[in-house]
Amino acid sequence: MYRIRFHGRGGQGMKTASRILGSAFFEAGYEVQDAPRYGAERRGAPIFAYVRAAREPINERGIIQRPDLVIVADDTLVAVPAAGVLAGVSARSVLLINSRDAAEVWRHRLNIDGPIVTLPVNTGVEDRAELPWIGASCAGAAARLVGVLPRQALVHAIETELGGLGDDVVGHNLENALAAWELMAPQYGLASEGGEPRAQEYQRPDWADLAFETARISAPTIYAAANSVEVRTGLWRTLRPVIDYSRCNRCWWVCSTFCPDGAISVDKDGQPRIDYDHCKGCMVCVAQCPPHAIAAVPEHQAQAEEAQPADIPGDPP
Amino acid sequence: MTQTATTFRRMKDLPSTHLLGTGTPMCAGCGGLEALHQIYDVLGEKTVFVNAAGCMTLLSVYPFTPFRGSWLYTAMASAPAGAQGIRDALDILREKKGLPPEEDLEVVVLTGDGAAYGMGLSATSGAMERDLDFIYICYDNEGYGNTGQQYSGATPHAARTATSKGAHGFAGYKKDLFSIWAAHRPTYVATVIGAEPLDLARKIETARDLEGPRLIIALAPCPTGWDYDPRESVAIGKLAVRTGVWPLKEYRDGRIQHTRVPRERVPVEEYLKKQGRFAHLFEPERDETLLQELQAKVDAYWDSVEVQGG
Ligand SMILES: Cc1ncc(C[n+]2csc(CCOP(=O)(O)OP(=O)(O)O)c2C)c(N)n1
Ligand code: SF4
Repeated sequence: MYRIRFHGRGGQGMKTASRILGSAFFEAGYEVQDAPRYGAERRGAPIFAYVRAAREPINERGIIQRPDLVIVADDTLVAVPAAGVLAGVSARSVLLINSRDAAEVWRHRLNIDGPIVTLPVNTGVEDRAELPWIGASCAGAAARLVGVLPRQALVHAIETELGGLGDDVVGHNLENALAAWELMAPQYGLASEGGEPRAQEYQRPDWADLAFETARISAPTIYAAANSVEVRTGLWRTLRPVIDYSRCNRCWWVCSTFCPDGAISVDKDGQPRIDYDHCKGCMVCVAQCPPHAIAAVPEHQAQAEEAQPADIPGDPP
Repeated sequence: MTQTATTFRRMKDLPSTHLLGTGTPMCAGCGGLEALHQIYDVLGEKTVFVNAAGCMTLLSVYPFTPFRGSWLYTAMASAPAGAQGIRDALDILREKKGLPPEEDLEVVVLTGDGAAYGMGLSATSGAMERDLDFIYICYDNEGYGNTGQQYSGATPHAARTATSKGAHGFAGYKKDLFSIWAAHRPTYVATVIGAEPLDLARKIETARDLEGPRLIIALAPCPTGWDYDPRESVAIGKLAVRTGVWPLKEYRDGRIQHTRVPRERVPVEEYLKKQGRFAHLFEPERDETLLQELQAKVDAYWDSVEVQGG
């Protein structure tokens, strides 16, 4: 059985990607399961989708613990613990990362032995309008990596799954999916079917047993005020708003009021301050700032700049 | 109309610190969250939120909450009934247990449009009938957002939803909840939008300082359900007002007053064009008939407002 796990962010079309791949397998005569996992998080947050495909009826259910192929639509997720990109990855799992960095860089970074393939499409997310198209590229690449799907099954799957959205959408998705399909030609068949799990290999999930308790304990109450700040939604961001204080008019009531998350506060000098631990990167402030003093910088670029040692004039080299 | 003195005369008077905690799981660019954080700044922390199932249920997922006061989760149809229970309990505490007035709390219902325009309408009607002292905030994202944007009683004509995918979108029409609520003659009814924060702050301030049933509908641009880049949330909200699609108004003492009359209305299609849920009106070719119908409905609304003088 093939066990394939997709990782992306809400809005990047991972659910659609899993459906396209699932339908392509189905076209090719496989038994298929494809399902996204719905969590409490939304657009921008880590999203999961799963595809199982086998020649025999599938009795396995639930999330995929030991993937044969992991597809990562957004490489910034690798560092996000909640995304669990590397969960259950073994030496034979293929990792397909949509990234501008080379596979070797990732191998070094992650220190893993298994095969890593990179797919450089729309990385950096400078233009979010391109985001929803990543899903089709991922599905196309995955279809080639498994090595058992004819090109026509992929084409058909896209036409079936997206037909309702009109010819333009189907055309654009086909183009992206087939480009990724071509790109993966050298890795044709790299991802192989995993065997059936054996009882001896069963490992107890690492969860805690909870005793049956009274309602007061089992339906707990939160006593803390506004403790949601403990959740770092800043990790959802793919674009970072950066204020150029030399152009800022200090009309803080614009950005600070419009920020949906209330992540812009005002310091005592009337300057707006963005809380990057919580800014989700919606870019409403960028769109609304009257003197255009806020720029949208791709998160990977902003992080790279932060990692550079600061250039202090006069300092010895 | 009796105009009470407002602390919000200019944009500058809006709060510069925010009470609602960050770190919530709402979508990046959520117009509902934008309205809620502005509303919470005016209502303050002496509030209990009663939340029917919907996107905002996820605000308080154990063990985290963005609120500084209590929050109660109810079934989709019954938030106003939950509010009644809390109000009664607070009243008993005040009368029998000596809860000082300054420790009393404002009971605030928070639901989406699926609950407000549909499932919860009967419970809301009952609460108004009993003259319940509460505030109702409906964030109206024009569909069942939390479950993937199926149509609701608030979905506008022609919008594509997960359950209205045909060439012409949703065949029904958005219910006029403002009028349905106002027909009960409660203390206060108002429409607001996060993209017009000053108007919003004044109305929430008005509601806060009154007693009895006070009900607010906040149009909530929803990047996920309406299909647009999250950065456009405020631009789309402003267009909803400037095209006349979302009239800002209030009902009080038996009278309706428009708080913002867009004198030169921007064509409705400027609003529609920005949203993927209306893309079929423009591609593969313009649907002139539907576009004209949508414009005509908005024009007819404002013509009738002018006839009534305001
Ligand atoms: C009686 C009942 N039916 C269905 C559901 C499942 N459900 C949970 S949230 C939701 C959507 C609610 O829509 P709306 O009130 O518009 O709020 P939004 O999700 O848009 O925030 C539904 C249908 C439920 N919780 N209760
Ligand atoms: S689905 Fe819409 S209303 Fe719900 S959290 Fe997301 S943006 Fe807000």
